[in-house]
Amino acid sequence: MYKVVRRALAAGSALIACSLAFGASAQDAVKIGVIYPLTGNAASAGNHAKMAAELAADIINNGDPELAKLMPIAKGGGLSGLKGAKIQILSADNQGTPQAGANQALRLITQEKVAALVGSYQSGITQTESAVAEKYSIPFVAPESTAADLTERGLKWFFRTTPVSVNFAQAYASFLKEQKAAGQKIDSIAIVYENTEYGTGTAAAIADLFGKEGFNVAMKLPYAANGPDVQPQVLQLKEKNPSVVIFISYTADAILYAKTMKELNWKPTILMADDAGFNDPAFVKAMGAQVEGLVSRSAFADGKPGSIAAIVDALYKKKSGGDGLDDGSARAIQGFLALADAINRAGSTDPNKIREALIATDMPSDQMVAGYNGVKYDAKGQNTLGSSLVIQMRGGKYVPVWPKAKATADIVLPYKGWSQ
Amino acid sequence: MSARRIVPLALLVLALIYPVLTMESAVYQRMGALVLLAAIGASAWNIVGGYAGQVSVGHAVFFGIGAYSSVVAFVHLGLPPIAGAPLGMAISVGLAALIGVPTLRLSGHYFSMATIAVGELVRVLASTSDFLGGAQGLGGPPMPRTVLDLSFLSAMPYYYIFLVVLAGILGLTWWIERGRMGFYLRAIKDSERAARSLGVSAGRYKLYAYMLSGAFTSVAGSLYLCMFGFIDPESGFGILISVKMVVMAALGGAGQLFGPLVGALILVPLEELSNSYLGGQGAGITYVVYGAIIVIIARFLPSGLLSLFERKPVVAQPEAAKPANPASGHAD
Repeated sequence: MYKVVRRALAAGSALIACSLAFGASAQDAVKIGVIYPLTGNAASAGNHAKMAAELAADIINNGDPELAKLMPIAKGGGLSGLKGAKIQILSADNQGTPQAGANQALRLITQEKVAALVGSYQSGITQTESAVAEKYSIPFVAPESTAADLTERGLKWFFRTTPVSVNFAQAYASFLKEQKAAGQKIDSIAIVYENTEYGTGTAAAIADLFGKEGFNVAMKLPYAANGPDVQPQVLQLKEKNPSVVIFISYTADAILYAKTMKELNWKPTILMADDAGFNDPAFVKAMGAQVEGLVSRSAFADGKPGSIAAIVDALYKKKSGGDGLDDGSARAIQGFLALADAINRAGSTDPNKIREALIATDMPSDQMVAGYNGVKYDAKGQNTLGSSLVIQMRGGKYVPVWPKAKATADIVLPYKGWSQ
Repeated sequence: MSARRIVPLALLVLALIYPVLTMESAVYQRMGALVLLAAIGASAWNIVGGYAGQVSVGHAVFFGIGAYSSVVAFVHLGLPPIAGAPLGMAISVGLAALIGVPTLRLSGHYFSMATIAVGELVRVLASTSDFLGGAQGLGGPPMPRTVLDLSFLSAMPYYYIFLVVLAGILGLTWWIERGRMGFYLRAIKDSERAARSLGVSAGRYKLYAYMLSGAFTSVAGSLYLCMFGFIDPESGFGILISVKMVVMAALGGAGQLFGPLVGALILVPLEELSNSYLGGQGAGITYVVYGAIIVIIARFLPSGLLSLFERKPVVAQPEAAKPANPASGHAD
């Protein structure tokens, strides 16, 4: 028995030694593990994020002549810092569960020997996957997960490119200050939010920061997103008549609010929404024409023709078969590109060198696909330059209006709403 | 006779040295630990679902309580997560009594429906509780502080911890199976009315089984938290957790000592491998393959895989020889 075991072990280790020897041969592809929810509740977002990562790899490996004029990394021919090594994506499905996510992270690290991991949309899954990466000392880049505590764990190998709710609140505050200076009436603000994690978390961050910035948050109105009716909330708004309303909503409730406000004929000076439901194509299709002048947030806007955002958007449309980049996929592609940039500068697939390069990351605003001011991590691995664009509904379509540098149109206020 | 002894012995030795054999592959080593963890949950379910025939589809409640007790011990008290395990067991026993007294009176599907309802209720409550981290969930120690945090790089320590726990649960189940309670439970499963008419206090024994089962399921939850270090309402109280326990036990053979373990031995590797090799395409083939295999087994072996080994002697023996074989006490 013992002999058999020993022989089996010897054969096994010989095999592994062989594969290691092959794996180490020069200028092989750089393997990057990409873990997203490809099945389950968030499958749509996960598959779009996976396509975004594949597009980023494609841009680096095969290049795009138009994009190459604006972005050095898009010249094609792989990573110049690694003598033209191509990027190879190994994608895995976390099935929308923290357990499958951790198991896949372990497999990609130990079996596929990936140099780094990217993922994974839902914060809870990013948590277990990055914990595995941390134990194996492999860099993990999170392009989309916004839970605040992800960067509070003291991990050495975790980096996050997406802005978090505090950054959004900051953007809203700056935006509103500018509008006030421009003469808009902004004396009281109402925050209407759905009452689960997303809504309460975001509302708290906004109310907190607005309080510090001297805004008057007169109303905080939580509601259940799956409720059948929002009349009571809109009636309350109508009674108090705040000049600014910020909605933090999912899709069905966003549509309901837009309809009910029209029915009850009430408009604030500025109607704002925090991305999510109000940016959902379903909302834009159903209500776009009825909410002329609605202001929302996005990490992405397709920008002026010929800009990086516009070119990448066109490439993504070709790849996805019609869907353009949106908030989620733009953040995914940006996170992947930020990692590729670090690997390129590291000039190696050694995890330690990649980590050092990630720490030294300083990508300027003019290299961004998403609407960030750049990518630069703080000591906790959080991108400090993550920012949002303010977009406005104009003729049934969102256009970027703020900050000015990234705007394609001037903002038009007050809120116009439905046409009479 | 000798083959009957050698096979179990060989399997036992294999179980003991498995992590050493898979030393070179962290993935397979971990898969061994995952099989045992799943088997702990399914074996715990088996006590009430298999032996007593009370099909709970809400056992995730106890799993979640175990996991949350552990994470709360860490987050709010700064203790190693495993210190929350006894608390989780105590709460589970209490909750099982609370749920069991009214719902175990329900028969058949109604009991299953009641357990689903309780499971969903607890999931919603957990997702609105700030103390439990709300919808976002809570994380265990990001980096092990001491060995007591049970946070290891290798899956080997988990494997042996899970093996010991599983052996404990199976040992206790075996002891119950052979004792008075085991006979009572099987009698209740076959016909509760008949059991009552013979003087079996059916309500009380069903409740005992339910409480015991809940306590052990909670241990599975605590161990899960130690290994994965994160819990949210969906991964703790989600209905899929409950369903997996039922499917595993049923696949291997519900109401049989090793049934849940056999089920876990088939399903966990199937799930992991199909996801690893087919999942990356994003077409959901994983679930198609997974589902197809369950359907095939359910079609051809409705009493579970272990019935493969049980059927033969039953068929081979003539009717008259049956009383001479007292071991065939299993209700199929």
